[in-house]
Amino acid sequence: MIASVLPTISPGTLLAGGVTATAASLWLLLPRGQSGAVERTGRRLGGLLGLVAVGCFIATGHRLGSLGEDAVFLIVSLVAVVSGAATVVTRSPVYAAIWFAMALAGVAGVLLVLGGQFLGVATIVVYAGAILVMFLFVLMLAQPAGLAPYDRVSNEPLLAAVAGAVLLGILSLSIGRLSAEPPLCCRMPAKATAIAAGPADGVPAAAEAGIDLLASDHVARLGGELFGRHLLAVEVAGVLLLVALIGSIAIVSRGTDGTVAPARRAVP
Amino acid sequence: MTPAPLVLDGLLVGAILFALGLVGILARRNLIVMFLCAELMLQGISVSLVAWSRHHGDWGGHVLVIFVLTVAACEAAVALVFVLQAFARTGRLDSAAWQSLRESNVPRTVDHELPAVDTLPPKFPKLTPAGVEPPVDQDALLEREHV
Repeated sequence: MIASVLPTISPGTLLAGGVTATAASLWLLLPRGQSGAVERTGRRLGGLLGLVAVGCFIATGHRLGSLGEDAVFLIVSLVAVVSGAATVVTRSPVYAAIWFAMALAGVAGVLLVLGGQFLGVATIVVYAGAILVMFLFVLMLAQPAGLAPYDRVSNEPLLAAVAGAVLLGILSLSIGRLSAEPPLCCRMPAKATAIAAGPADGVPAAAEAGIDLLASDHVARLGGELFGRHLLAVEVAGVLLLVALIGSIAIVSRGTDGTVAPARRAVP
Repeated sequence: MTPAPLVLDGLLVGAILFALGLVGILARRNLIVMFLCAELMLQGISVSLVAWSRHHGDWGGHVLVIFVLTVAACEAAVALVFVLQAFARTGRLDSAAWQSLRESNVPRTVDHELPAVDTLPPKFPKLTPAGVEPPVDQDALLEREHV
């Protein structure tokens, strides 16, 4: 279905359309201090433009790689991207955190499809299980009742949306360059080229070199790599965690003025 | 050898997540939402790293993502403490509450009067009451005032 429509549109037009639709949709969806019918119309229009942008990028991805042929990858990446956009534009910070959890589920799926068994599970456990719950704790401690005024306005929504969309366009262009034959200056190092060349043409590099989703010793090999070549870094990361823990306790126990923190006042 | 199609798609998804997080960081004013958007950018980076790892057929990207997770946990712990302290001082989770820290040539953020929001209370689903109503505990009522 996608393939039949595609040849009529040039890649540049597709990308430009996607970038424009992304910028306009994000600008319409970001909170701009409006209310009532104006806000609702803006959000509907922004949602429609967002669908257009998603369609453009699916088509770009289909042209670049094989997006749309692997249905699982398409679904999980759509979940990740749409929930990520909802995280950015939702007014209520609590809903933003919950949308972020949804985006994490999508990202975990993408990691799984890309061959990161352990990382997909770790993303869910560490991010959604620990970090996100901490966010929600702080939100419940600090969020005033109802929508705060600063949740209903944005800093320079137009400039921010245009900046993000332009960055996305540049990144997509450079990803598109990757699928062309690399010039001599930017060839991969010899070892990686040897691994990537693989035993036969057309076989993905990962199948030969060991990052195989279905390999039964996937996690064991990752652990071997982590505690072999990167043992020192693991130790340093442990020290970093300890320092962060002690530091946050020290900051909290100092209070706001070097004394015990005074009771908070409710803010109207 | 050019990257496999799946690798290119992974890179595209990572780029989209990164750009979305960037928009959030630039535009939103709630400190916690800004922080969530930073985490979204980190997720985009993780997806890209795993895609490159698949392309090169080694474990470097996976190991790097594990360290990204570790540093993100540290960062979240310290930054959320800062956010709580900022809230205790100003009573707001607003980044503009700290605009006295801006450069001297940057104009001041001025908040204009906002139109009123729709004050319809949210509709939550209700469960059918069942069983005997428990006695009301007065102490528990006092404790739950803020929730």
